[in-house]
Amino acid sequence: MDYTLSDKDVLKERMEYTGVHPQKFLLWLAMASMTMFFGALTSALIVKKADIQTWENFRLPTVFIYSTIAVVAVSVLMHFSLIQYRKAKFGLFRVLFSIAFVMAILFLGLQYLGWKQLEAIGMTLDGNISGSFIYLITSLHGLHIVIGLLITLIFLANAIRSRKDPIYELSNIANPKRVFNLEMLVTFWHYIDAVWVYLYVFLYFNYQ
Amino acid sequence: MQTVAHGDVHTQDTHHGDHGHHDHHEQSWLEKYVFSTDHKIVAKQFLITGMMWAIVGALLSVLFRIQLAWPDETFPFLETFLGKWAEGGKISNEFYNALITMHGTILIFFVLTGGLSGTFANLLIPYQIGSRDMASGFINMLSYWFFFIASMVMFSSFFIQTGPAAGGWTAYPPLNGLRDTAISKGSGLGFDLWALAMVLFIISSLLGGLNYISTTLNLRTKGMTMFKLPLTVWSFMLTAVIGLLAFPALLAGVALLEFDRLLGTSFYLNDIIINGNLLDYKGGSPILYQHLFWFLGHPEVYIIILPAMGIVSEVISVHSRKPIFGYRAMVMSLSTIVVISFLVWAHHMFVSGMNPNLGAVFMLFSLLIAVPSSIKTFNWLGTIWRGSLRLNSPMMFAIGFVSMFITGGVTGIILGSAAIDIQLHDTYFVIAHFHLVMGVAAFFGMFAGVYHWFPRFYGRYMNETLGMIHFWITLIGGYAIFFPMHFMNDIPRRYYSFANFETFNRFEDMMVFITVSAIIVFLAQLLFVVNFFYSIFKGRKVEGEVCNPWGSTTLEWTAPVERLHGNWPGELPTVYRWPYDYSVNGRDFIPQNEPLKPGEVEHQ
Ligand code: HEM
Ligand SMILES: [Cu+2]
Repeated sequence: MDYTLSDKDVLKERMEYTGVHPQKFLLWLAMASMTMFFGALTSALIVKKADIQTWENFRLPTVFIYSTIAVVAVSVLMHFSLIQYRKAKFGLFRVLFSIAFVMAILFLGLQYLGWKQLEAIGMTLDGNISGSFIYLITSLHGLHIVIGLLITLIFLANAIRSRKDPIYELSNIANPKRVFNLEMLVTFWHYIDAVWVYLYVFLYFNYQ
Repeated sequence: MQTVAHGDVHTQDTHHGDHGHHDHHEQSWLEKYVFSTDHKIVAKQFLITGMMWAIVGALLSVLFRIQLAWPDETFPFLETFLGKWAEGGKISNEFYNALITMHGTILIFFVLTGGLSGTFANLLIPYQIGSRDMASGFINMLSYWFFFIASMVMFSSFFIQTGPAAGGWTAYPPLNGLRDTAISKGSGLGFDLWALAMVLFIISSLLGGLNYISTTLNLRTKGMTMFKLPLTVWSFMLTAVIGLLAFPALLAGVALLEFDRLLGTSFYLNDIIINGNLLDYKGGSPILYQHLFWFLGHPEVYIIILPAMGIVSEVISVHSRKPIFGYRAMVMSLSTIVVISFLVWAHHMFVSGMNPNLGAVFMLFSLLIAVPSSIKTFNWLGTIWRGSLRLNSPMMFAIGFVSMFITGGVTGIILGSAAIDIQLHDTYFVIAHFHLVMGVAAFFGMFAGVYHWFPRFYGRYMNETLGMIHFWITLIGGYAIFFPMHFMNDIPRRYYSFANFETFNRFEDMMVFITVSAIIVFLAQLLFVVNFFYSIFKGRKVEGEVCNPWGSTTLEWTAPVERLHGNWPGELPTVYRWPYDYSVNGRDFIPQNEPLKPGEVEHQ
């Protein structure tokens, strides 16, 4: 006969030794890996830029400063929405969380405007590499944002459902697993937002 | 934090609580065997998929070996099976390139990375650290299914009009940077499928690796300090660390490549002329790709060899009935390898026109990495020395590993010297080097592991006689295939035919000898496959209540024979001693969960 534990039980055994939640740790490791990814992209840019014969210089479009502001706003809103959730103030949580979601979409829109500005100054995707790099980096970062948005959408759907269903909402308080999941999501947003801030500063100094 | 996350079912800490009364929640067949989150099932899935890939990958090499040995002959059966790829019974030059490309990709990534780490890290990490499962069973399951989908995508490229990728496993641009089937059929859809499969594969590896690291660091049972971990666990964890830091570079490299191919950027392309027409690509550099590729590529070879090293350390100690020689030195050299493996990548690029001074730095580190590698080798030999050896199939394969690793490693030092490498680059000498040190050696480690832990998987032994035949044919055959290649040190690799090159034709007989050996070795592997499946149903059963067929100290052998989700029916074992107490205190072995006797000093 198979002796079968549910997954919840399987994990239960540990943690007082390291005090680290193993699944949170997973997320940190994943962030280390993503950092290597963006590190590789920016290193590639530095290597290519050193080749001054082919590198065409220009100024970074100004839209990107606004998208940076938007992405910071996402982080701040996410942070406060989590605090409200912990306090079980779901009304306020829903508002902040939804605005954060919209801001993240706005961020993507602004990045797109950035591409349009690039095109306007003649830096097309398949033009000089100096321009191509901006498309490359923004789109691969944007892909991470899209994944974040998709996961956020699930949380948003839950939040909206609980507005109509008070019993479901109450079960949120009783279910710390939900808080934990939200914490993981918010951590991811902080990370991926910080990556953009890094990328912005990096690009700003490389495109003078 | 912990009570918040886990307060839902049990509030108190049940680390050593009784697990006997948990709800026996029923799993459907699908949950249990297909989308399972149980590390043991995931390990089996990786093993079986890896074995299938190994057969495919090896078969491809037999096909291109046939072309190399008998370039003028025709084999009608080839046309029967391969159709237009072997018109008139002769493999086409296009397909030859596809064969070597897919052979390399499949064996390096899908077998020796996915298959090897996926199988043994999944099976052994939770068992040997005394954990009920991985940190996240769900992510573990995803890791396998990404691997599976990647496999399917890669495999599908064999069946498309233009055939699979054909630009080498390293996928260098500019050849692979242009989506133009006029240059090479494999540069079409086949390469895009290759890239997609690699992206999925990398995601799978990363998801797996996250779990291996987090589980090892956070889910060890009581008393299991880092220096009481078996060397297997150390090696799997460090392998995952390398993967986590190195694979993203390949992901970036492939992303740039696909931008060039699909969106018309010129990251890697510059002033290319095809049929007299200058293409519209400016300013790119293929060397950039080489850096991104080898930043993964070299660590990748250690991703392959480290798990094999861990397995071999364990197997050699158990079957020598002796403590591993120099445990801490083993851990230190593993860790040193992890660090240095990131500092040598450009030794694959000595002929790329890089600055010779930079080359010297990479040469220095390349030679330095021989130091930890030799320490490990000496320690294996030191463990075998004057042991009470049991020369059964797992042990023979482990010893075979050491032999192959030495033979192949020596030529690494030769190639690591830039001045010599410039002569030897892209010749059969390099083929000999890396197949012995990595290809055959890692396979030996994997076989040692399968023979050794088969009882843990299925509660039965594999057949010894078949195992021994398998071993001797593979050992002798492995050398027969690759040793002669050392003498072919001016023959370029990846050539379809040497017919037009007078000087390269002196090895015709050798080529035939190698091919015949390869076919024999391939057939011997089928013996292993037969043994494997036969033993699942008919193998000799392991006796006793707990499954400890070899008299081992480690925790995986303290669990019952049957598969339990959660591994141990009662509480988790507590660890009191290091994992290598063999032939001490007048005892054959002392399990890790046996308390120290009064007055007994803990091994340091
Ligand atoms: C003493 C340590 C080693 C040194 C100094 C060394 C050096 C080298 C050098 C310089 C090359 C490039 C040859 C060329 O293309 O011209 C090479 C190729 C290679 N080495 Fe090693 N190696 C060492 C150990 C290893 C180990 C332990 C592995 C695998 C486990 C390995 C796997 C490979 C592979 C796969 C290639 C060929 C890649 C390709 O071009 O397709 N090497 N090695
Ligand atoms: Cu290397």
